[in-house]
Amino acid sequence: MTASGTSGLLLALPFGIPWVFAAVLALLDGRKRWVGLLAAAGLGAGFLSLVWLTFVVLRDGNVEITEGGWPENVGITLRADALSVAFATICAGVILVSLLFELSLGVRWRTFPALVLLVAAGLTGLFLTGDAFNFYVFFEISMTASFVLVGYREEDYQVRAAFIFAVVNLLGSVVFLIGIAALYSVTGSLDMRVIAERMVSLEPSSVIAIAAVIFAAFFLKLGLFPFHFWLPAVYVGSHAPVAAILSGALANIGAYGLLRFGGGILPRELEFGSAVVMVIGAASIIYGSLQAVSRRDASEVLAYSAIGQAGYIILALGVGGSVGYAAAVLYAVVNSLNKVVLFLAAGLRGPAAGAAFAVGAFSVAGVPPAVGFLGKVAVFKASAAVDTLLASVTLVAIIFVGSALSFLYLFQVYQRRFMAPKQGDPGKTSPAMARFLVVTLAALVLVVGLWPEPLLLLSEAAATALSSGGSS
Amino acid sequence: MILYAALVISVVFASGTFLLLQRDLTRVVVGIILVSNAAVLFIISAGLTRGEPPIYPLPEGGEQGASGIGVSDPLVQAMALTALIIGLCVAALLLAMVYKLYTSHQTIDLEEIADVEMRQAEALERADDPEVEEVPAEGPEEVELREETR
Repeated sequence: MTASGTSGLLLALPFGIPWVFAAVLALLDGRKRWVGLLAAAGLGAGFLSLVWLTFVVLRDGNVEITEGGWPENVGITLRADALSVAFATICAGVILVSLLFELSLGVRWRTFPALVLLVAAGLTGLFLTGDAFNFYVFFEISMTASFVLVGYREEDYQVRAAFIFAVVNLLGSVVFLIGIAALYSVTGSLDMRVIAERMVSLEPSSVIAIAAVIFAAFFLKLGLFPFHFWLPAVYVGSHAPVAAILSGALANIGAYGLLRFGGGILPRELEFGSAVVMVIGAASIIYGSLQAVSRRDASEVLAYSAIGQAGYIILALGVGGSVGYAAAVLYAVVNSLNKVVLFLAAGLRGPAAGAAFAVGAFSVAGVPPAVGFLGKVAVFKASAAVDTLLASVTLVAIIFVGSALSFLYLFQVYQRRFMAPKQGDPGKTSPAMARFLVVTLAALVLVVGLWPEPLLLLSEAAATALSSGGSS
Repeated sequence: MILYAALVISVVFASGTFLLLQRDLTRVVVGIILVSNAAVLFIISAGLTRGEPPIYPLPEGGEQGASGIGVSDPLVQAMALTALIIGLCVAALLLAMVYKLYTSHQTIDLEEIADVEMRQAEALERADDPEVEEVPAEGPEEVELREETR
């Protein structure tokens, strides 16, 4: 462990900077250009400190500090391992790009930049905390900010969408809170590592109910098949950058939570329920893809696509082991990138946006030069590692069908959105800045696909961190 | 003691869930408040021990205290406080949303709101505003037809 002064700073900066900026920006008028730029600067600084933290974690191992100078196991612990920095960096990046995109289109709400920063601060804090209850608090911070964000643009049906989103997710949060209280009750600790250590000595049968409660809460967040009912209504109404934040960043809470609580704290229970988890994942892939094929509206197609894509992450998680966890992390990161490119590009017009959308679509379908190929290969590898031959073949077949369907629905969207020229629409050329951002992102998708070593390294380090129970 | 706590929590949670399933939005909000308070009660009962008040200079007799039964668990109280505050803020936010829906739709019945929205979508469709893209008003065939006629 490094000296506590620098490591404390290193851990506090990524969510401290956006936090302070959010508090200041809440008092300012976010529609003004300089306020928006200030928000982008704050978020950028947070992102840079996260990148720094990522390098430190990958080079020296975990960074850890107990806040407030309390002895360990009394104070709240902040802990960064490869898994948390992988998720935190991709989420902060997604939110930063979405904010820049919205700035280039023109912000319409005075609170928009502050809300985006609060989402970023909450998310980063959630990934970097080592305390189960603190996880819940950060989680509520980012969710509450996102409840308001969903209603951005203030059309009435979007307030309804925001209300539905808020009620469903609050129910999920309460269920999760009950799970945490139950974990505390059986282990007497809130520190994730201590919980994981004490879990080993408990009877699995007494913990399985707690595991089910916690998993159900995260399935709801991720919008998996039997828990998906709220998701399309929310995405259809929302605005491109908000949809990108929801799908590219906030949905990762579900994936991260399942990895951290499922893989890190309750691995035996996860293994016990792996068949159920895999079935849910497979059902989500098929259901999401089929629904997406039958929809016309671009945002609706992407909403159902999000259900299907989350299915792949869960499938890999259900397989378990270091191969499965690495695949889940990799696919979650890749999925965030894809979703941002698709949602932002679908909100624009013109050949550049069309090309970016096509790259995103290729990536989702898993065509080689794009980064999605890596994710698909990792999930394929994970499902080939399943012991039973029948299960393995079925999973591979489902993944293949899902990819083929995703190719189909995304090119339907492409055709409607970019190939059929709409008449009487000359005033809607998108700003150069927004087009530039989308093209850069698409280029990033290709570059990471061509040079995947850093990403593979990160996902494997994350899987190792999980398997070793968070201790280094 | 634990049995009573479990009974109270289950009753509160069940009533909250029942209210959540209503069409009236204020009832939905009350349902959320009840459900989150059931969670708070659950947190408290997760550390439900009898004992001395957990105030720092511990009572005489070290860890076990004067009465010999130790101090009660302070951590659950802190967690319950945090959860209560979060619940309060979220309830305020939800009520603000309900009010916003009421001012724009003159009703807080979920089905009536959906009806109003359907009518608005149809009105938009009739107006055939080219700016409106969110409403899937016309299929691609129609678009192509219109382009041919031009």
